[in-house]
Amino acid sequence: MSAIATAEAGSHSVAHALPPDEYFGSATPGKIGMWIFLLSDAFSFGGLLLAYGILRGGSQVWRHPGEPALGIPFTAFLTFLLICSSVTMVLAVAAATEGNRKQTMLFLALTALGGAGFLTGQFHEYFGLVPHHGLVHEGLIFGHSAYASTFYVITSFHGAHVFTGTVYILVTLARTAAGKTNANDVEILGLFWHFVDLIWILVFTFVYLL
Amino acid sequence: MAHHVARRTYWIVFGALAVLTVLEILVALPSMGVPKTPKALALITMALSKAGLVGLFFMHLKQEMRALKLTVALPFLFPALYAVVLIGEAGWRLIR
Repeated sequence: MSAIATAEAGSHSVAHALPPDEYFGSATPGKIGMWIFLLSDAFSFGGLLLAYGILRGGSQVWRHPGEPALGIPFTAFLTFLLICSSVTMVLAVAAATEGNRKQTMLFLALTALGGAGFLTGQFHEYFGLVPHHGLVHEGLIFGHSAYASTFYVITSFHGAHVFTGTVYILVTLARTAAGKTNANDVEILGLFWHFVDLIWILVFTFVYLL
Repeated sequence: MAHHVARRTYWIVFGALAVLTVLEILVALPSMGVPKTPKALALITMALSKAGLVGLFFMHLKQEMRALKLTVALPFLFPALYAVVLIGEAGWRLIR
């Protein structure tokens, strides 16, 4: 009875009102839900990467004459930026667990900055922030080859995740500033953000390095 | 609630991710002249190791109970199986 009363008092106390589960311990329903969502999202990426592997593995010529090679140094910098943002995110979760609201907000802001930096970099890679730069100007046109199409579909699908993640961070940052989040909320956000980093690690290797 | 969280592991993982990224780029550079198959195997091994580090330590999967670990890990056997079969088949048609 008291557990139900606590649960009805608000979502913040639900996490602590439930007794530890026999199989899932103190993992909250929200956290398990996020993990299962990420699993389904991983399969979406898995499908795209498999299609990429099949098309590339079965092609006689992958990169046609006139199509640019993908720039590794610049993307390596973006990869490093995303890894750094994963570190600031894990530090935000640690600060939230310690109940340090100011530090949580600082590290969330830094993580969002990393996400915004990555998106700016991806825009530069596609279209060029300066004239006559960017893959579209160098002859990598969506629909012209499997090489071009798989590149744009996979990296933009990931970019959509970085955009969503950055918005999610900013919303959580605003809610933290208003005192409306707990450590569990920040941890669930962290799961999403680390997943976006994890996927990029694989995309960087399969699409750029291999 | 407000207990201290140790950050040491996070920095070690960050270092490992950075080193592995540099190694990956070195292996991938055309000027290094690494043959195709060892290069692919090395890159895939390093990428999966990095993904594992992020999952285990940054996403705290290592600290979760076994049921959650299995819920997350086991379904990946299927895409792995598809990858082996489909890419193998595509590759075979190419060299046949």
